[in-house]
Amino acid sequence: MSKIKYFIQQSWLLLIAAFCFGLLIAVASAAWSPRIEANRIKKLNDLMQGLLPNANSFPMETKVTIKSAKGKKTEVTIYKALSDPNNANTCIGWAFNASGPGFADKIELVIAVDKNFENFAGFAVLTSNETPGFGDQIKLPYYQHQYKKAPVTHLELVKTGDDKRIDAEIVAISGATVSSEAVIKIVNNTAAQVKKQMKEKGLL
Amino acid sequence: MPDESKKSSAIYEQTLLAGLWRENPVFRLLLGMCPTLAVTAAVKPALTMGLTVIFVLLCSNIVVSLMRNLLKPHLRILMFTLTIATFVTIADLFLKAFSPEMSATLGPYVPLIIVNCIIICRAETCASKNGLVISILDALGMGAGFTVSLCILAAVREILSTGAVFEIQLFPLASQSGWFVPSAAMRMPVGAFITLGLLLALVNCTTPKKAKG
Repeated sequence: MSKIKYFIQQSWLLLIAAFCFGLLIAVASAAWSPRIEANRIKKLNDLMQGLLPNANSFPMETKVTIKSAKGKKTEVTIYKALSDPNNANTCIGWAFNASGPGFADKIELVIAVDKNFENFAGFAVLTSNETPGFGDQIKLPYYQHQYKKAPVTHLELVKTGDDKRIDAEIVAISGATVSSEAVIKIVNNTAAQVKKQMKEKGLL
Repeated sequence: MPDESKKSSAIYEQTLLAGLWRENPVFRLLLGMCPTLAVTAAVKPALTMGLTVIFVLLCSNIVVSLMRNLLKPHLRILMFTLTIATFVTIADLFLKAFSPEMSATLGPYVPLIIVNCIIICRAETCASKNGLVISILDALGMGAGFTVSLCILAAVREILSTGAVFEIQLFPLASQSGWFVPSAAMRMPVGAFITLGLLLALVNCTTPKKAKG
């Protein structure tokens, strides 16, 4: 009993402060979460539009569950890129979210492919906290450009090569091999599983 | 009584102005170097970081000052960290909601304010030992000093790397038939180190040295 009394005597302020601060964060989060989510959706739409510029609408087609390299299950939302928003037969490609571990934190990507899922239309970074000046170069066009029209096969990361050549070889960012490799792994793992499941669902 | 009032006013003034020059956190105390080097490639992110630090510093100083008499010595750092983390999380959520692009630009450096030495230093050396007014003035002075320092550093780097400041083009670029050749290195970490080093040297040169012995 005396131990409990001593514990409360010592930590009552900490417990009350933790409760009050937790409440404060919960209120702020509840108030701003819808706006944060709206910003995220807007960013997702803008990125998909950038990857598939001829599309005018991105209705959600389906959701699939994929497994990460470590066996963790993740939900992937697949969007259909339509050139005519009123005609479902005007599909010009597909876009889906993908995520995986990066160098510093989780990397979230948007990947776009052509309508037959044969070539990538590219990828864009939704969220990442990679090292500024090094790993965050995954956001730069010179690295992302290598994925445009690259075949949807197992992409390989190479340390040297011609980054202008479009093939299954992706030249790593100098000084940020881990981030480059993380992107390749996310793209390879997600694209292969999404393609397989879309075929099973008869979408391809 | 007027003497006492004059004395308090002088103390308040000294506290407010200390952060701007005498105890400037960046140029004199060399605290908060992580955001100083990381977010000063342009003035906009530097200003946003400075304002965020002012908000966190002000809120944490107020809370710490109010509960200073209740703090147990061995739990005080834990309390400071808890307080700072709360306000940093709120600031981070605010930026994500109302300025998502700036939030993305600042990236991990907003959450990293939790471990910013300036804030914990002011909680320990000022707010936990002084009343509310002094703590608020200290937070405003230190925060303003930090913000101004970041903006000076960012302005130098932005001008040299783009010929612009606050995204307003000052010098015509050589690539657009002008004369200014921007230095890409000034946008990189190396530019931050060089600029900070030169500004620190300038501050040291302009500071009268104490007599030896």
